[in-house]
Amino acid sequence: MTDGHLFNNISLGGRGGTNPGQLKIYSGGISWKKQGGGKAVEVDKGDIHKVTWMKVPRTNQLGVRTKDGLYYKFTGFRDQDVANLSNFFQNTCGITPEEKQLSVSGRNWGEVDLNGNMLTFLVGSKQAFEVSLADVSQTQLQGKNDVMLEFHVDDTTGANEKDSLMEIAFHVPNSNTQFVGDENRP
Amino acid sequence: GDSRASSKTSADLSAYKNVNDLPPPRDLMIQVDQKNEAILLPIYGSMVPFHVATIRTVSSQADTNRNCYIRIIFNVPGTPFSPLDSNTLKIQGSIYLKEVSFRSKDPRHISEAVQQIKTLRRQVMARESERAERAT
Repeated sequence: MTDGHLFNNISLGGRGGTNPGQLKIYSGGISWKKQGGGKAVEVDKGDIHKVTWMKVPRTNQLGVRTKDGLYYKFTGFRDQDVANLSNFFQNTCGITPEEKQLSVSGRNWGEVDLNGNMLTFLVGSKQAFEVSLADVSQTQLQGKNDVMLEFHVDDTTGANEKDSLMEIAFHVPNSNTQFVGDENRP
Repeated sequence: GDSRASSKTSADLSAYKNVNDLPPPRDLMIQVDQKNEAILLPIYGSMVPFHVATIRTVSSQADTNRNCYIRIIFNVPGTPFSPLDSNTLKIQGSIYLKEVSFRSKDPRHISEAVQQIKTLRRQVMARESERAERAT
């Protein structure tokens, strides 16, 4: 295992749900292949911008952001993998993974963080969920305070979720100062 | 566990304490967790929990293509009878998730989910208003 780590059961998450596959993390970068062929992800070591870890129910999730602004989420790492891979990223790429926390309080109020293409809804500074603005087909302002995002309907990418997110709306009260007068808000 | 105290006020409203308290990952579909009084929504490959007390209404609708839609509207400040209103001051400045809608190929699952969410919501609201009455 000097030149890499191979994981056989790592899911790539995204718009259509999750797909199981095989992940290789090696000196050249990150490579993921969907089980049974099809989709593949290649990230060159030099293109990795940021790496994050998050504890999710019963497993761990690796987030990889590329310098092009792409963002991949891989799920299925054991706790000991996290420590090993953190060392590997540090030694091989000179990148120290950051730790993120998942909100499980079930609250519907918090903050919206925009970073590249990703919109993150944070509750008490912990991540509740993330969506990609690249999948948003339309945004609408409803009334003075509500922002509605409509998502592309994509039946082609082998979505494996039973229920697909179509729309999401945020209520931005007048007391919120983050997005006042910002035309580019979500 | 004393999950019954979990929805007393919005300030300490909490569906789960730890990440591993969530139900084991299953299919990516809308689920109702009666025990923890939460619903779980599949968003970008993750199951995202919401306490049932944050929900204002839930409805479903079908189209001619055998597609079924479910719409969940959450409590936000300024809506009548919103249980969050008493605590709005505390959380001023927050952005709220107001609404989500999902499409499903399974109308039976959607109508079941709507029923379960409505029932659970009714139970929790009845218990809370009873508690509030006793307190006065």
